[in-house]
Amino acid sequence: MNTLLISDKDAKTKLSEDLKAKIIRTLKENGHQVDVFELGKEDVTQCYGCFLCLTKHPGECFNKDIVNEIRKNINNYNATFYLTPVLFGHYSSTIASPMNKGAGSNNLQVVIGYGDDIDEEEKSTFIDLTAKHQGKADIVHPGLLNQADVFVSESFGDNAKICEALKKYMK
Amino acid sequence: MKSICLVNGSLRGKQASSLEFLNDIARKLPDAEYRKTIITVTGKVKDRYPEDILNSINVADAIIFIFPLHNYGLPGALMRLLEDYSKHLRTGKEYFKQTKVYVIVNCAFPRPADTCGEAIRVIQNFCRRLSLNWRFAICIGTGPVVVMTKKVPFLYPKLKHAYTEIALDIQSGDREKKGNYFIKPIIPERIISAIKHYYENKGQMIKKNKEP
Repeated sequence: MNTLLISDKDAKTKLSEDLKAKIIRTLKENGHQVDVFELGKEDVTQCYGCFLCLTKHPGECFNKDIVNEIRKNINNYNATFYLTPVLFGHYSSTIASPMNKGAGSNNLQVVIGYGDDIDEEEKSTFIDLTAKHQGKADIVHPGLLNQADVFVSESFGDNAKICEALKKYMK
Repeated sequence: MKSICLVNGSLRGKQASSLEFLNDIARKLPDAEYRKTIITVTGKVKDRYPEDILNSINVADAIIFIFPLHNYGLPGALMRLLEDYSKHLRTGKEYFKQTKVYVIVNCAFPRPADTCGEAIRVIQNFCRRLSLNWRFAICIGTGPVVVMTKKVPFLYPKLKHAYTEIALDIQSGDREKKGNYFIKPIIPERIISAIKHYYENKGQMIKKNKEP
């Protein structure tokens, strides 16, 4: 399985670095290839919501940034893992760029939030954002049950549990 | 004179439906009574949003965020503004903690009540973190269609009432919690769904219920 891991390099913490290292190790131990992209605020432009990537030139953003390059190759990947700090229950602006531009794999996208100062409501908001893609908003995305997943890590112990849970996608 | 900060969370310039909604609410707040500052988000910010922009949020009596829904959440560019503002306050800047906060979500989908909830919760979380006074949201289904048809008489009385409610709420000292307004589209869902499927196929978007 070819996998893509996208993280926010401006929001590195001890927790996120441990999480990233553990995910990469888990993937490699299970025989999977991992391409890692550490994106920063300076590297990405935000999605304009112009829909030109759906209408005029499908699959390509008019902003020729690194995210556009990632998106061009999405068919090469079986899964995308996003690592993002949880900010007010949302993913960071840097990670919003590839997510909103559709730069994730068409087969599986796993969003993993982290932070040691997340309250319960923020955690729940973050999880529910992804749940919408799993069928909670049926008119929009009717049941991407097997293609979207979400986790939140607040501790090193959570990191280990998340890696264990991810193994179901690695068979 | 009250100070109002209107935040345009769309990057689509003059084509933005959000800008139309911003202008609608701005018209409800006369220049003689309100000092209005409009902030428009940008697609790429060097270092961080300029100090004068962040300071204009500090002194506002009310902030109105107007933005399109992206992936059920906030546009990345708006998220960047919230991140920068939050960091700006952490440097010890003084700000008005009881600022009233309103949201107008331009949602392309037909069921705003089903799709806008998490975006609203993100702004509520932002308010809770910064001790701002969350008020309520207006969620507009199929925003671009509403923009195209809003001049048709008697079509959107609920939306016009909701705008008036924001203007009245800014003026009043009312702290009682208020419910959100959901503006449903006039186009049948089946047609909207067909348009969506057409563009999802064309844009090679993820297909439903496919095995990983």
